[in-house]
Amino acid sequence: MYGLISMVGCVSGLKWTHMTTVQLFVTCLVDSFFPQTGEAVVDILSRLGISVNFPPDQTCCGQPQFNAGLRKDARAVAEHTIRVFEKTTGDIITPSGSCAHHFRHNYPELFEGDSAWLPRAKSLASRTYEFTEYLVDKLNVTDLGATWDGLLTYHPSCHTLRGINVDRQPRALLQNIKGATLVDLPHAEECCGFGGVMSIEHPELSAEWLKRKISNLEATNSPTLVVTDAGCLMHIAGGLHRNNKSQRVMHIAEILHNT
Amino acid sequence: MTTFRSRILESINNESLQTALDNNTERRLKGRAVAFESIPDWRERIKRAHAVRADVIEHLDEYLAKFIAKNEENGVIVHRAKDAAEAIQIVLKITDSNRFASRRWSETDDRSRRTPLLIAKSKSMVSEEISLNHALEKEGINVVETALGEYIVQLRHERPSHIITPAAHLKKEQVAELFREKLGIPYTTDIPTLTATARKILREVFLTADIGLSGVNFGVAETGAVCIITNEGNGRMVATLPPVHIALMGMERIVPNLNDLALMLSLLPRSATGQKLTVYTQLLHTPLPSTTLRKNQTRHLIILDNGRSRLRNSPLKESLYCIRCGACLNACPVFRELGGHAYIGSDLSIAPYPGPIGSVISPGLLGENYVHLAQASSLCGACKDACPVDIDLPKLLTRVRAGQSPHPQPLSQRARGEGAGLSPLTKFFLRMYTRVATHPGLFVASQKFAALGTFLFAPFSQWIRLPAFTGWGYSKDFPRFAGKPFRERRKSKKVDKETGRQSGRFEGGQVETLADKKTEDFADSASRFINELTALNGHVHQTHNATKDIVEFLKQRGVSKIHLEPNTLDENLLREANIEIANAPDPQIIVGATKAICGLADTGSVLIADGEGSPLEASLLPEIHIAVLKSSDILPSLKDAMALVKGRNVVFITGPSRTADIEMTLTIGVHGPKEIHVFLT
Repeated sequence: MYGLISMVGCVSGLKWTHMTTVQLFVTCLVDSFFPQTGEAVVDILSRLGISVNFPPDQTCCGQPQFNAGLRKDARAVAEHTIRVFEKTTGDIITPSGSCAHHFRHNYPELFEGDSAWLPRAKSLASRTYEFTEYLVDKLNVTDLGATWDGLLTYHPSCHTLRGINVDRQPRALLQNIKGATLVDLPHAEECCGFGGVMSIEHPELSAEWLKRKISNLEATNSPTLVVTDAGCLMHIAGGLHRNNKSQRVMHIAEILHNT
Repeated sequence: MTTFRSRILESINNESLQTALDNNTERRLKGRAVAFESIPDWRERIKRAHAVRADVIEHLDEYLAKFIAKNEENGVIVHRAKDAAEAIQIVLKITDSNRFASRRWSETDDRSRRTPLLIAKSKSMVSEEISLNHALEKEGINVVETALGEYIVQLRHERPSHIITPAAHLKKEQVAELFREKLGIPYTTDIPTLTATARKILREVFLTADIGLSGVNFGVAETGAVCIITNEGNGRMVATLPPVHIALMGMERIVPNLNDLALMLSLLPRSATGQKLTVYTQLLHTPLPSTTLRKNQTRHLIILDNGRSRLRNSPLKESLYCIRCGACLNACPVFRELGGHAYIGSDLSIAPYPGPIGSVISPGLLGENYVHLAQASSLCGACKDACPVDIDLPKLLTRVRAGQSPHPQPLSQRARGEGAGLSPLTKFFLRMYTRVATHPGLFVASQKFAALGTFLFAPFSQWIRLPAFTGWGYSKDFPRFAGKPFRERRKSKKVDKETGRQSGRFEGGQVETLADKKTEDFADSASRFINELTALNGHVHQTHNATKDIVEFLKQRGVSKIHLEPNTLDENLLREANIEIANAPDPQIIVGATKAICGLADTGSVLIADGEGSPLEASLLPEIHIAVLKSSDILPSLKDAMALVKGRNVVFITGPSRTADIEMTLTIGVHGPKEIHVFLT
């Protein structure tokens, strides 16, 4: 086992001589609705010789409460998450640009002026990476040896694209999938209409954006839409299912996992 | 907010509105993107602009004191208004004292023969904020909006639906019908004809108005300059022609100096309309001297607080950095569905400022009535991306939601505190979820319970069809909870995890390299100037003898009289050619000729300054403006010309007067000259 990993490390020119351990923040949506995404993340990281730890007390990052304006509630959940990950060491990987954005930008906002919690929040944020960001920027990997048959198109989730400025990373990873033809999604940067509680508070607005996202997807002829966030995934896939469309929405980890 | 939601639905179901809004979004986003290509250092500029605005808001009192002192030194009468009522009182006082002084009044006038006082008004969002028109009309004052879009919405008794393009919600057929009904012209959807009709009517308003009223885009603390930018020329008309000019500005609209102004002006028009520079960029320092059309001008500057001080001391402070370009509206998917008229308060009044910035400052300035607007956002961040001064609008929206907006009045239960504007049911569920998410045991139990529940609900599908009233079920299905959540699957996989798949092959280090963008080779400044101005429908004539070529041009056009700035052309040569020369403004003259103090290579602009022979009017009133420019006076860009404008009354002219207020169709020649000819020597 160890030998194999070292071999892979040598071949790739990477400098690890011992196993790196990372912590997985799998997110509440992946945990509860899309466990296969989490498994793909673990598998890909293990393949790269990284040991993945899953702190079992983790729940949710608290972004729904934060975005709704319920800061006291958001703090309670954030404090819980900070406590859970403080017991661990190493980088924190999350398959969600939105949760990474929440750690990085909203936690400091939430604990502003709190001398006890702000440093703890910032320390958590500084350890956190979105999954594709970690692969490309931290591990320098853009080719995972993944294969795919046919068209793929990519929807950059708002918080991945504009929240944490991660865009070239998932695109580079998709570019290198053997057999896949990557086609541009028209108006890709437009929000799909999920927006957390907004899709419940203002369903009429959400519906319009979803309609537009689906018709843009149809224009690509791609049967598969790739996302970096389970929020967009459940929203767009839910819309496709409601309208009896055949396209699938898949998390990038599952695509990259396909060899 | 049920009424707000029903207004959203109305907008969504209004097909012509949706077409207009789609059009607005697509054209504006594209225009902005293209305009930013011409300043490769735009990221750097945005950073600097953010820092400038932050500094101004931080030290606003000092900057304002300097700005006010400079203005008083410059002969401007400065007033400060703490709220809408005070601002209105100040305007009314000014109108009162000008009743008899105005050019259409004499002390001997019989009361019964008095026509109401006429105010020609250029677009001002601050006046919308304080509902000024309504207050003035109640006092029997005739206020006429002169920006084409504003004029249209005023005729329709509506509020503007966009802070830059007020009639963005209308189609040309609606304008055609409106003009037929209100102005008595035959029905036509020809936009140039509609524009020409407005030009004719409003020209009369400019020439006879007792008072001109405008907003202010920027106030320059260092020199006291008031900067007003318009494309149509109405901002110049109201600030130049009537004997009294009232400039109404929000107190935050300050920049420290002329260099900072140049920086802001490199970003504002690009963000607003995709222009490198607005057609008319006016910088006014002192009241204008008398002309044949009026006596010495009086200028009043009203500086309005109306909640801004409160906002400045609140967590929403950053919203005061806004320079009102409207880019966040154009980028916002919510605005794209709603348009400006659907942003309504709980009292059903239309919020004065729509879009993302509006959902922050409408509650920020005017209170809880508009707090719920901040909930209508997916926090997608398109607004922050579009903002030329990098305001973190999503963050500010979450602060409004967290109940952090300052409140002028006592709060209702609903708006008070956290979760402002959230529906009680959503709040209840989120609070329950907090309990679940802070107790891992409860979290696991809830997952199991939800998995079982959703399985029973939809045993044969991965998706559940929720009813529409749940919100989610309105347009999409809900996924079934996984029978085994990730955490459980992981536990059971622990063993084979060690033998995990190792078949993957990867090659490290393939990080993309961005191809170095070739920097454009710039031609010399004259040819850049010519290219820019020609692209804007301006004309450039290269000449060795300007007078001779201008005489030729005038003959071709059959023109026998011009308004000429002295010392610009060889007047003997003109007289020999039987061209009559006037040195004073005259509305009948169709050609005005002025010197250009300088030209700007990167925008195709010319700088005209006030002086002997009224060049400001000569470049404004006639249908054709001729500017004589020396090639050696062409400067690279706006910031290089700032040394020339200190203390003077000037205008940078960038192409002929234009508008895109009807269906965003570019139309040339609204209020200012229809043609600009630069004779380059």
